[in-house]
Amino acid sequence: MSIELLVQALLNGFGLAMVYVLVALGLTLIFSILEIINFAHGEFYMLGGYVTYYLYALFGVNYFATLVLAILTVGIAGVVAERLIFHDLRGRALNAFIVSLGLLWVMQAGAQLAFGVLDKPVPSAFSGVVRGLGVVISVERLVVSLSAIVLIVALYLFLRVSRPGRAMRAVAQDPDAAALQGVNIDVVSALGFGVGCALAGGAGGLLAPLFAVSPAMGALPVVKAFIIIIIGGMGSLPGAVLGGLLLGGVEGLGALFMGSAAVNILGFVMVIVVLLVRPRGLVGGA
Amino acid sequence: MERSAVAPAAGVALIALGAAALPLVTRDSYYLDVATTILMNLTLTMSFRLQVSTGQINMAHISFMGIGAYASALLVTRAGLSFWATLWIGALVAALLAVPIGSVALRVSGPYYFLITFAFSEVVRLFFNNFFEGLFGGPSGLVGIPKPGRLLGLVFDGKLALYGLMAVLCVVVVLALVRLDCSRFGLTAGAIRQADLVAETLGVNVFRYKLTTFVLGSFVAGLAGVFFAHYRQVLHSSDFGLEPMVLLVVFTVIGGTGSVWGPVVGTILMTIASELLRELHHYEILVFGAVLILTMLFAPEGLVALPGAARRLLRRVRARTTAPAGAGLAP
Repeated sequence: MSIELLVQALLNGFGLAMVYVLVALGLTLIFSILEIINFAHGEFYMLGGYVTYYLYALFGVNYFATLVLAILTVGIAGVVAERLIFHDLRGRALNAFIVSLGLLWVMQAGAQLAFGVLDKPVPSAFSGVVRGLGVVISVERLVVSLSAIVLIVALYLFLRVSRPGRAMRAVAQDPDAAALQGVNIDVVSALGFGVGCALAGGAGGLLAPLFAVSPAMGALPVVKAFIIIIIGGMGSLPGAVLGGLLLGGVEGLGALFMGSAAVNILGFVMVIVVLLVRPRGLVGGA
Repeated sequence: MERSAVAPAAGVALIALGAAALPLVTRDSYYLDVATTILMNLTLTMSFRLQVSTGQINMAHISFMGIGAYASALLVTRAGLSFWATLWIGALVAALLAVPIGSVALRVSGPYYFLITFAFSEVVRLFFNNFFEGLFGGPSGLVGIPKPGRLLGLVFDGKLALYGLMAVLCVVVVLALVRLDCSRFGLTAGAIRQADLVAETLGVNVFRYKLTTFVLGSFVAGLAGVFFAHYRQVLHSSDFGLEPMVLLVVFTVIGGTGSVWGPVVGTILMTIASELLRELHHYEILVFGAVLILTMLFAPEGLVALPGAARRLLRRVRARTTAPAGAGLAP
């Protein structure tokens, strides 16, 4: 087996990893602020996909403008979901988890009724490939990965520098202490849930041209996101990036030896191994 | 420390009588099919509640049903064993696999537990779907599973006979689980759910209790799985995926997990609702999802706790009307 083949396999694996990291970061942000595992996170990703389908594929709005609108729309949907449903369940992991299972069904069935069950194709925004050193990458995947990286950096800066971002980190560390410092927990929870969902919506918008848009499209990315945050450690941003790269690499290499459907099992095996050896994830704290 | 066993015993007798009375009322194969499904679901939800009663939502519960189902189907079709042997072997295989899987999963708690059990359930589903296609049938499913056959001169191939078999299995399982719930074991499970640290300091080996409920629950799920395999005669990996698992959560949680009667009420109501909504395929999961959300938000103790909750609400409304508006800081 040549080096080029290995590098190509790794690149294929890494290709979309950053988009899944985006989904994972949304999950982990929501978890660290509200202590809620949102199983319906993939359905917010799906919403982002449909915004992209209607604006970009149907009405011909600019690709990047569509992406921004998808992020905003899904973010607002997230704030609404927090206010209506999850707000009273903050810190009650079991009940919130069950509610998110219900929301998953409601949103999926709602999408089937509103948008139809059939897959909706979204045309590629970019064509062509980049060649170099014996490996090939499509321009589209390159743009998608770079956009995801830009969003990850933007999230990092938002959480580091901006006031609402710092309030979110404060609430994640200690809600009581944050409240005593004058942080409005209700606002931060709603905003945090909204930002988390917005990230999923952005990921859905990015991947819509690569895969068709359908009511069940959220299932695969959310499963990958779960794997990523368990491997990396819940609540950790660098952990999610590391988890995404590890998962992408293992899946890319695994694809050399087994079918693409069978490769999906590798991620779960990694999850089980990580939880056995280091239950808090590779980067997770206590 | 035995809680009063009269009411539960009467309840089990009621289920047994109800199950026995149905064939006297109707022998229509559709109604028998619905009733068999209710009993099968009831067996599953009761064993699921056993684990929920220690505060854990095991997202892999449905997988142990699958393991029992596939094990029995293969032993009957490939090794030529009798259904009456594989009924127990299938359940035992599920219980045996539950020991290592439970030992790993129960090392973590809370949200990590949902995720690791979900990971296990996906591994099992993907395994049945993508590996050893010649054995498990792959995406097109495992077909040609025979019906149970004869035992003691009785032939188990008609709807009525299979219904009777499921009824006996279900009543035995419910009776065992109700007895367990009334015993010291059930009390300890409740203590673990409410305050596992306190239980631990009082000398309860919390891990062993949780593992015991995990393995017992998996045994019962395996039993239901074996029946499912030979009743439906065809198995798909998706029969044991996320959707049926969420359905199991709906059945168990809507009734309430605080008492053994919650799953009974939830399963009967929701299986019938599922049949009524069958025509409206997309609406079915829409309605179920909405019911699940509303129940958790407004009646988190489940439907069986509603009478008590209504009484409390009435008392609060009365207290509010007698007190001057806006007075006091009562929550």
